[in-house]
Amino acid sequence: MTSVRRPANVEVIAKIETLFENIADSLLRGEELSIPLRHKKFQSASLDGADAELSTEFTKVSFPAKTPREAWRFTVLIRILELMHEALCDNVVVSKRNIYYKDPALFKTQAVVDRYVDIFAYTFGVQRAALNVTAAAKGLVAGQFTLTSLDGTTVRRGPDLSYLIDDVSEVQTVNFSRVKWILVIEKESTFRTLASSNLHQQSRAGKGIILTAKGYPDISTRAFLRLLSTSHHHRSRPPPIYALADLDPDGIAIMSNYKHGSYTLSHENEQLNVPRIRWLGIKSSDIINETNGKEAKGLLRLSGRDRKKAVKMLENSAVMREGGGEAEWRRELQVMLTLNVKAEIEVLGEREGGVEGWVEEKLLANARGV
Amino acid sequence: MSKQYLTTHTIDHAHPTDIFSLGTTPTQILSASGSSSIRIHSTNNPDFPLSQTLEKVHKLGCHHLTTSRNGQVAASVGFGGEVKIWGVQDAQWSESRKIVDGSKAGEIWAIALSEDGQYLAATSFDGRINVWDYLADGAKIREFETKGSFGMSIDLSADGRFTASGHENGGIYIFNNDTGRLFQSLPSLVKPVRAVAFSPGGKLLAAAGDSKVIALYDVSSGEQVANLTGHGAWIFSLDWSNSGEYLLSGAFDGKAKVWSIEQRTCVATHTETEKTLWSVKWLPKTGRNEGFATAGANRSISFYREATGG
Repeated sequence: MTSVRRPANVEVIAKIETLFENIADSLLRGEELSIPLRHKKFQSASLDGADAELSTEFTKVSFPAKTPREAWRFTVLIRILELMHEALCDNVVVSKRNIYYKDPALFKTQAVVDRYVDIFAYTFGVQRAALNVTAAAKGLVAGQFTLTSLDGTTVRRGPDLSYLIDDVSEVQTVNFSRVKWILVIEKESTFRTLASSNLHQQSRAGKGIILTAKGYPDISTRAFLRLLSTSHHHRSRPPPIYALADLDPDGIAIMSNYKHGSYTLSHENEQLNVPRIRWLGIKSSDIINETNGKEAKGLLRLSGRDRKKAVKMLENSAVMREGGGEAEWRRELQVMLTLNVKAEIEVLGEREGGVEGWVEEKLLANARGV
Repeated sequence: MSKQYLTTHTIDHAHPTDIFSLGTTPTQILSASGSSSIRIHSTNNPDFPLSQTLEKVHKLGCHHLTTSRNGQVAASVGFGGEVKIWGVQDAQWSESRKIVDGSKAGEIWAIALSEDGQYLAATSFDGRINVWDYLADGAKIREFETKGSFGMSIDLSADGRFTASGHENGGIYIFNNDTGRLFQSLPSLVKPVRAVAFSPGGKLLAAAGDSKVIALYDVSSGEQVANLTGHGAWIFSLDWSNSGEYLLSGAFDGKAKVWSIEQRTCVATHTETEKTLWSVKWLPKTGRNEGFATAGANRSISFYREATGG
């Protein structure tokens, strides 16, 4: 499951498809193929140099091309369009870095991708975000691990800082042998709280790795988590991977996204799934204490959108349908709808020991198999 | 004066997931859960055998189920918002009608049937209360507006004259079905009201929810006449005994309580499980002893009967 597709996305998908259709039509008619583009062009500034003016210039890139360079540009543009179209249709967010690593041999440098993505945004008259392309990696990770690339270079990450999660398609192995657990966190604020409390370094549950994609995961974050989840050949028991999300339909959808992929399960999505993910919290039983009936502070009511989303998930998610395998998620969605209650991770911060104390208890309890 | 109830039987794993709602007839108990099927067990046999399963009738699960007091009609609501009406012949149930909410805005939530099953009343997420005349080809005959707070609970008085609704903001209303007007706006419980129930004679209305108390109101005056305290958790379900002498309640912490209306006190507390009780129901009286059934998050249905010779 992913978030609802935005109208701007739908508009862009239509524009890209129109472009492809025009090219197909030209092919059928045996005509020259072309991609029309709009550029921003800086006019030479006036004498005092004060106001460099923006104007729009229309060009097109054609095939067969007049020069080898134009032929290459045509190929680059088609490839970028194709990758953006795929991201839009799958409703996933990709970074410019992701696009570059799809075909470094073709693109040659990151700058090429950056430039043409921005040109497409301008050509289509939309913000770059409407193309589902982000400028940079959005995921964050903290913990101790070493990445070794195909070319033998290694990147060592110490535990004291948080790092952006870069593309890992060039990474061959990851070593995190001292890590006892991995925690995927829905929200950046929770990630920051846990990172600054040094939970991943000083927990009684052992050393850990914490990461977040700041909401619905991008491909880089999913690829990184997948790499961690599959790189445990050096030990008998791989460290457990837990998810910490809000108790609301989006929280469960985000968890589902990491574990089972986005809603339209494209081939690539499947290769990023992390089926080992276990749900750390928060569950309804965490916020409404069943034994003494004292509910946590900060419970919220579901919005109309939350209720619609929960019903859609029960109806459409392959894993949350009856018999779909995620019976606990299905149950929690039904209980949410019945109680009309949701809760954000922040409610745990109200407790003695804060979020970090709560997470530590849960990690220990899970390690004991409770 | 306490009373003794003994567990007579438990149907383990009556459903594969939480049982959200129970309905009874003189000879059967119907149960609805997070699964797609409604199950029906016989209550006139000490082994409570399964007599029928209505397979895959609510694809997304079923949160409310109710029966008419005469045992002839049942109604169920699924998480997808669909309402189904069931009729019974020779102890076998079949779907007799769907109710379609003409105005799309609200999602149907809690439901109640009149004694003979002719009228169905339902709340919606946006606080509306609708009444349908099921015999007159399912036409909507009443639409009551409230302040827009989620209608979490509903009941019809035995004579069909009144509809009571309990809301998320603590509001409790009684509507006159004959005039189509608001009859009483009762003192609020401030917190979500998850159960409302008219006494069999229609003189009292019981209401309860997250405030953990059961409030008793005089229907004709609209005044609160008692507060039954003792539950330590959210209350989800209320049911009056046939005679109106006792009130049964079930709560989030798995506790079921029986209250004497005359004494205004709790006379019995039962904890079969620490898991949520979503629904509690009195069973038809057999002989001199009354009994009840409880169900919830532990997926089982437990049966209790009053100890004899006390």
